[in-house]
Amino acid sequence: MDNLILPLYRNGFLSSEANFFFALIMGITFGFVLERTGFTRSKLISGTFYFKSLAVPKIMGTTVVTAATWFIIFSWLGWLDISQLYTPATYVWPYVVGGLMFGAGMVMAGYCPGTAVAGLGTGKTDALVFLLGVLAGMFVYFIIYPYVSDFANSSNLGVLKLHDLFGGNEYTSFIITVILETSIILFMMLLRKIANTGKTV
Amino acid sequence: MENEIVKCKKYWNPYVGGIVMGTLLFLTFAIASQGYGASGTFARATAQFLVNQDASWLENAYIANYFKHSDNALNNWTVIETIGILIGGFLSAVLAGRFIFRPDKAASYSLTGRYFWAFTGGMVVAVASRLARGCTSGQGLDGMATFSVGAWIFMFATFAGALLLSPLFKKQWVDDEQAAPKKVSLKEGLNNG
Repeated sequence: MDNLILPLYRNGFLSSEANFFFALIMGITFGFVLERTGFTRSKLISGTFYFKSLAVPKIMGTTVVTAATWFIIFSWLGWLDISQLYTPATYVWPYVVGGLMFGAGMVMAGYCPGTAVAGLGTGKTDALVFLLGVLAGMFVYFIIYPYVSDFANSSNLGVLKLHDLFGGNEYTSFIITVILETSIILFMMLLRKIANTGKTV
Repeated sequence: MENEIVKCKKYWNPYVGGIVMGTLLFLTFAIASQGYGASGTFARATAQFLVNQDASWLENAYIANYFKHSDNALNNWTVIETIGILIGGFLSAVLAGRFIFRPDKAASYSLTGRYFWAFTGGMVVAVASRLARGCTSGQGLDGMATFSVGAWIFMFATFAGALLLSPLFKKQWVDDEQAAPKKVSLKEGLNNG
């Protein structure tokens, strides 16, 4: 257990100040990569929903599989405690409704909060307007919270991992994740082919 | 004009971008014990703004939650990280020669319409992110990478929601395709003629 040093902050190897310093560094690198991959363009992001570009699912899928691969390797080496990584609890119905709304908002705006922040950094004026809308939307949520809190806190299954559902351990979850992400990318490639049949692109 | 920009500096290959982003996400988790986030920053900023105006906002159960651990809702890891995202996007755009003040949309779509939907979409996304306890970063990427079932529910629902409404917003995003075939048919016409 002496080798189990990761994550650094949760295991007491990092001061609060140092953790905030790394927050800035990790944010800068994240924003940098978002710009380099074109995630700062609402037209590219929304192009996903018209099967014009598959960059978004390709990058998201590869990101998830890469991060998960590192988790599994470091956990196998005994250096990382996966259970210490912050994972939001699963609220089934709030996530279904929240997800449907989130997708609706994304096809209207072409951004999600993270990509809009990076987009604002690149000078996108629609990203700025989007973020003003986000601030206004937060205000709306605070106002309606007393009325929606019962629903928002319903169907809470706690922290629920894939292997809690399908059996096995973290390795099972990893394999399911790789299969899911790979099939999503392949399936979307197929859909794009069908959607663009007969078009000169 | 957009073609010129795309030509002068190529974007990264998506798989290469994903490997870099995934490794950074792993490092973030390995250091901070938590992953990326963004929507929480805007909820906290709004909460702090309201409390600054009138302390009675603290009676709101949702806002009160942000002041449990600190007097300032912005004294938070994700808030600092979000400032980093802004700086990172700016640095990358400047270094790539891509920094330019402009909106992103289909060429023929009106600017007013674009800003209207950007604002409205932002409001919808904000409310949705509170119900879903995160956005595509904090819930989607972080959750899927840590094998959370909830993240998958959220992502499938997000994609479904976007696909369902996508026909209504096609004009905003997809350039009029009749322009291209017309040119081809004109060319064909000339060749045939």
